[in-house]
Amino acid sequence: MRDAMQQSPGDEFKKLKKVDRQSESSEDEEFHGVIQADFAFFDPKPDDFHGVKTLLQSYLDDKQWDLSGFVDLILEQTTVGTVVKLEDDEDNGVFSIITALNLGRYKDHKCFTELKEFLLNICPEKDKTGKLRSLLGDKAQDVGLLVSQRVVNLPPELLPHLYDALFDEISWATEDEPTEELRNSFRFKFYVVVSKIYKLKNANKKRSSSTDEDDAFIYIKPEEEILHKLSMWSSLFPLQTQQVATHELKNYQLTGIVMAVKAEDISSFRQQLRTLINES
Amino acid sequence: MATRLQFENSCEVGVFSKLTNAYCLVAIGGSENFYSAFESELADVIPVVKTSISGTRIIGRLCAGNKNGLLVPHNTTDQELQHLRNSLPDQVVVQRIDEKLSALGNCIACNDHVALTHTDLDKETEEIITDVLGVEVFRQTIAGNILVGSYCAFSNRGGLVHPHTSVEDLDELSTLLQVPLVAGTINRGSEVIAAGMTVNDWTAFCGSDTTATELSVIESVFKLREAQPTAIVDEMRKSLIDSYV
Repeated sequence: MRDAMQQSPGDEFKKLKKVDRQSESSEDEEFHGVIQADFAFFDPKPDDFHGVKTLLQSYLDDKQWDLSGFVDLILEQTTVGTVVKLEDDEDNGVFSIITALNLGRYKDHKCFTELKEFLLNICPEKDKTGKLRSLLGDKAQDVGLLVSQRVVNLPPELLPHLYDALFDEISWATEDEPTEELRNSFRFKFYVVVSKIYKLKNANKKRSSSTDEDDAFIYIKPEEEILHKLSMWSSLFPLQTQQVATHELKNYQLTGIVMAVKAEDISSFRQQLRTLINES
Repeated sequence: MATRLQFENSCEVGVFSKLTNAYCLVAIGGSENFYSAFESELADVIPVVKTSISGTRIIGRLCAGNKNGLLVPHNTTDQELQHLRNSLPDQVVVQRIDEKLSALGNCIACNDHVALTHTDLDKETEEIITDVLGVEVFRQTIAGNILVGSYCAFSNRGGLVHPHTSVEDLDELSTLLQVPLVAGTINRGSEVIAAGMTVNDWTAFCGSDTTATELSVIESVFKLREAQPTAIVDEMRKSLIDSYV
């Protein structure tokens, strides 16, 4: 399967996931919600800059940081990282980005120092800050920043394939990269994830009524529920940006989360993700 | 002189500001950096006014103006209108217009003498533009796009248009506008010129993703390198004094 993946040079096409949805005859005006789309996975390319930047606009909440530099690093790392786009799309729209960046390899870049500063300052739980500081500092060489962002309505069927693609590329990189240093940089022992979830407001108030079935957390990205459960530790932090208040989420507050997952738990994660998506 | 800046991590500077030869409007943002950047360049020369339009921050795309006037859409609130009238120089006429194409900044591109407008703009709106802004109006498209206000930015000295504008179109527009035009990009290859930058006769503000090449094209076509604000404002000062008398 691996040889089939590594196609001829110039052909970055890696894997096609056809998502056929029933489409009604769509006229120009009336259009009742179903689109036929062929998604394809591509290596990151410099052209994807604007699309990826838009997806990562609120990665660090409203902090002004070198987002452009961060996106440049993601796009330069062509061996590990996937961009999801439409097959033959003139507009070159980016629907999803996934990648893992070694914290040690990029630690001297401005975007990474700003990211590190943001996370260390924003985390209110002091016991977690110590662990975070260690992962961002002396253990940085073994830590991968798992960056995964997508448009809200991306079909979830793509997710197991997206994560499989990422972790497969990471393992290939440990063998295929040209230098020893680069090969080692992909032997991650830990992954750090920075994201946003919805937390139940007033979770401390225990309601005795059994009809209260609210979950403590609502995950915008389904895989984060699994990651959260598998994580070594996680820390919630407050966000400055306003969330859109919908009726269903009126009891919930959009909260930032940073969590660390051991690399050895990833195979379990992949399996659980497959089960989760196939069931729903 | 062209300055690179960001509005809260967005490089779309032209969305959150509106710069003319007589005033500058700036959106109310999370941090003061955006406003300070304008203040430091323009403070002694023209007023920099913080405002919202219709409760939003996308003021650059909702309003259109030049040194003679400012047109705001129908959904501008009374308080915003009053605030603008109070803060802008007296010779600038602020007018709220009833136009169904309410994103006036996307539909109208103008300098102090000429305006290009969306082809479907109301006839009454066109007349108001002529009266309030004191310009000659031309209905045009730019590289096939009807949102002329989005795909070009021009001052009294030069203009930048959508990169796919043909040479014939470029010549035609240049004749209409009577300024040199160049087809180019902003913010590292973005085609939406007016969203990425805002310009007047002596200075320009561009998104921070703008490359050095793009910036040098801008400084050259808008003739910003030799530009002195005092010379231009002095010319206008004669009309300013008239209004106080």
